[in-house]
Amino acid sequence: MILDTLSAILLICGAFFSVTGAVGLFKFPDFFTRVHAASVTDSVVTLLIVAGLMLRTNFDLVTVKLFIMAVFLLLTGPTASHALAKSARHGGLLTLPESKASDEQSKERGS
Amino acid sequence: MSTHNNRSIIHIAIWGLVLAIFWVLLSGYFTPLLLSLGALSVVLVVALLWKMDSIDGQVPLLPLNLKFLRYDIWLLGQIFKSSIQVTKLVWSNTTTLQPVMVKLPIDHIPLKARVLYANSITLTPGTLSIDIDDEHLSVHALQNHSIMELASGDMARRASTLVKDGA
Repeated sequence: MILDTLSAILLICGAFFSVTGAVGLFKFPDFFTRVHAASVTDSVVTLLIVAGLMLRTNFDLVTVKLFIMAVFLLLTGPTASHALAKSARHGGLLTLPESKASDEQSKERGS
Repeated sequence: MSTHNNRSIIHIAIWGLVLAIFWVLLSGYFTPLLLSLGALSVVLVVALLWKMDSIDGQVPLLPLNLKFLRYDIWLLGQIFKSSIQVTKLVWSNTTTLQPVMVKLPIDHIPLKARVLYANSITLTPGTLSIDIDDEHLSVHALQNHSIMELASGDMARRASTLVKDGA
């Protein structure tokens, strides 16, 4: 009973953070800030949802598998985010302050 | 040379054990066929590792000790703290958003710890490591506040002590 309640709380929290990540993905202004929003889903949601699911098992091999899943997701998540950000950076994408600065420069040059 | 050999034998033995446990945990069946298939895969992977190690010449040690566990728990706390910050930013007005990008010096951090440090930065929401070279780590953050926290060097210190004592 207690485990069920605890698991429900964890799952609801996970769902909330998941929605937050999705909203952030649409709301944030540029690529780099959006990656931040997605990384909420990457890290916290993984932990909360998997922990919530672990409490619903009979504490057997399924629990272990869920735990291993969480470990791998936590290892691959940041790697993917970093790969995305690095290739965007090397492709010449500017961050928000930098693109503002270059806009102002080009305006000055224009006038 | 012989010490290096001893170390790599221990390294291989640990990996063999870890992989065998991993197989048993994931399969959960103890029939002869599946167990022998598991043994075969473990031997195959360990043979590959052995070959790679002799080419590489660098034997990385598994830092799976109590200190690493303590670092993980601390990192989990950081992840929750910073996700709550990012969540606040998502649900508040986005005009307050001021992303920054800075280069943090990393030449005082041991080589092995840099990977851990950069990955920890990316794992915590709100900060993202973008590029790394010999002296600097480019970090993008949603708020200046999180950069200040990184620049205070708490995470870097924790990551480097881990490697110093573990190796």
